[in-house]
Amino acid sequence: MASLRRMHRDGKLAPIFIFLPPALVLFTIFVIWPILNAANFSMYKWSGYGELTNFVGADNFRRLLRHSIFHQSLWNSWKLILASLFLQIPLAMTMALLIYRKTSVNTAFRLIFFAPYILAEVATGLIWSFIFDGDYGVTAQITRFLGMDQLYILADKRYAFLTIITVIVWKYFGYHMMIFIAALQSVPSDLIEAAEIDGASPWRIIWHVKLPLISHAIKLSAFFAIVGALQVFDIILPLTNGGPSNSTHSLVSYLYYFGLVQLNVGYGSAVGVCLFFLCVITAFGYKRLAIGKGAGL
Amino acid sequence: MATLEYENIFKSFGDVQVISDVSLTIPHGSFTVFVGPSGCGKSTLLRLTAGLEDVSSGKLKIDGRDVTEERPTARGIAMVFQSYALYPHMNVADNIGFGLKMAKMPKDERRRKVAEAAEVLQLTPLLARKPGELSGGQRQRVAIGRAIVRQPKVFLFDEPLSNLDAALRTQMRVELAQLHTRLGATMIYVTHDQVEAMTLADRIVVLSNGRIEQVGTPLELYSSPRTIFVAGFIGSPKMNLFSGPVAEAAGAQTYGIRPEHIDVMREGGEWKGTVQFVERLGSDTFLHVDADKIGRMIVRAIGDADFRGGENISLAPRPGFRHLFGKDGVAIQEA
Ligand SMILES: Nc1ncnc2c1ncn2[C@@H]1O[C@H](COP(=O)(O)OP(=O)(O)OP(=O)(O)O)[C@@H](O)[C@H]1O
Ligand SMILES: [Mg+2]
Repeated sequence: MASLRRMHRDGKLAPIFIFLPPALVLFTIFVIWPILNAANFSMYKWSGYGELTNFVGADNFRRLLRHSIFHQSLWNSWKLILASLFLQIPLAMTMALLIYRKTSVNTAFRLIFFAPYILAEVATGLIWSFIFDGDYGVTAQITRFLGMDQLYILADKRYAFLTIITVIVWKYFGYHMMIFIAALQSVPSDLIEAAEIDGASPWRIIWHVKLPLISHAIKLSAFFAIVGALQVFDIILPLTNGGPSNSTHSLVSYLYYFGLVQLNVGYGSAVGVCLFFLCVITAFGYKRLAIGKGAGL
Repeated sequence: MATLEYENIFKSFGDVQVISDVSLTIPHGSFTVFVGPSGCGKSTLLRLTAGLEDVSSGKLKIDGRDVTEERPTARGIAMVFQSYALYPHMNVADNIGFGLKMAKMPKDERRRKVAEAAEVLQLTPLLARKPGELSGGQRQRVAIGRAIVRQPKVFLFDEPLSNLDAALRTQMRVELAQLHTRLGATMIYVTHDQVEAMTLADRIVVLSNGRIEQVGTPLELYSSPRTIFVAGFIGSPKMNLFSGPVAEAAGAQTYGIRPEHIDVMREGGEWKGTVQFVERLGSDTFLHVDADKIGRMIVRAIGDADFRGGENISLAPRPGFRHLFGKDGVAIQEA
């Protein structure tokens, strides 16, 4: 009670009463309610129209676990996570270290590398699908110039997902680069000078001083990368639409294709529930593992 | 052995000339203090010495070897920053040992050297702490520890005490002086505090607007300042400087006399004046006096002298202690 009174005196109570209810209402309407709904739908065989009558219990989940294309999508999403963590972030870090100092040339580079991030996903997918078009695209011109056979990269099971990964890394590394640049610019210059005087080479300054000092940004960035990888969707549709033979689906595009397009909303909801738990586990597990106590996220 | 020679060093940032034509020799084992008002280029000169900035022209030699183009590491210097610049993610031991680690010293030897340095600086109980968990004075010591473990030829200090409170500053000043005696290394120390300069230095370099005004021992600067700038800068309270009839009578543009070189008496002195304001420090009393036909001056009376505001007094400048300066601001040598 005493603390409540104190909060009142400090003027902390009024904001809670003013700002909390709308936030709670919105959160409930747009987050909690849909999730509960989806959990409910996931136990029916339902096309999305008409009454919920055909209760099937856990059948949708059982089907899901046996579906090889779901396994492939899961594996693809896992590959996206790995690529985001081990290709995208190192690439972003390298670029950030190269251009974080404030000069006009660096500003220009920053804009160039950041531009893909601003581009809409669908537009990105379309642009790259033209580039990789084996008949009319840039790929076609190159193969023709080299006198090779036509190459349909996006229709080739061996290359299609690799290409998607490349496009995603290309699109999103600028975002992580910006986070790193902001963090690097806040590293005090006298620490770097002290390390220089201590005899550290540029490499070791990066390793022993700069990276540890921006570790919070790296952790944050990795978190966004993982969650982002789990959400990849709208860039896949224009590129491969999940093909060839459903080999390039991500979890979300799998949900979209097998749930919504094929009018299995009950089944799609089951995928959604799985995805939701995956995200929650990732988020909390990550917070526990990497962020630890104290450091806020 | 470490003698530093600066030969016609210039430094400009863009159009701004920050260091102009500095030539200077710093003998081995000396404790040299760069002193001057804020913005005069002290830090810049120190950073040029460390190799953190490149000279625009001129040469820097350490022990006769031209190091102008060399990286900081190759110069055999250590630097203590005003902000301490401790690595916040490393504990005290790692902070002190970082330079040794970079020099690829084996772990055992490294640990021994760190322990030695920590012992000297009374840091042993704190070795496992992070800089964020230390007081200002302790951080300062860690920064010094980081410098001494590497046994550099030259130590550079950039206002290392300016973030400490007055008591701690006095204590650290003594510790630094002792450190210098024990290590016998060449030390260059930057400060804008002339008391620090006077007490620590065996040689003072007074800088103004990027130029050397005068180099000398503290007492040389005190007793025979070469320019008006040095006269006004060294000594506390400042030297009284007058132009006008007194100066003309002595055949100079400016007449200077220190507050402690004027005797105060009820009557019979050379100058007459009225006490405007009295500052009592216990050991000394400083009188702000409006002297007839001369102007406002500060006069020191020893002890708790019994003078009051508004009182008429008489002043006697001690013969032989006046300083005369010509039109160019340079001291006139009196026979
Ligand atoms: N990197 C820089 N770029 C441009 N000008 C600079 C730079 N560093 C210093 N200066 C300028 O050079 C002049 C001297 O700076 P310096 O830091 O050497 O002064 P200082 O004598 O150390 O002063 P303080 O007692 O305030 O530390 C200042 O006018 C400052 O504005
Ligand atoms: Mg400075």
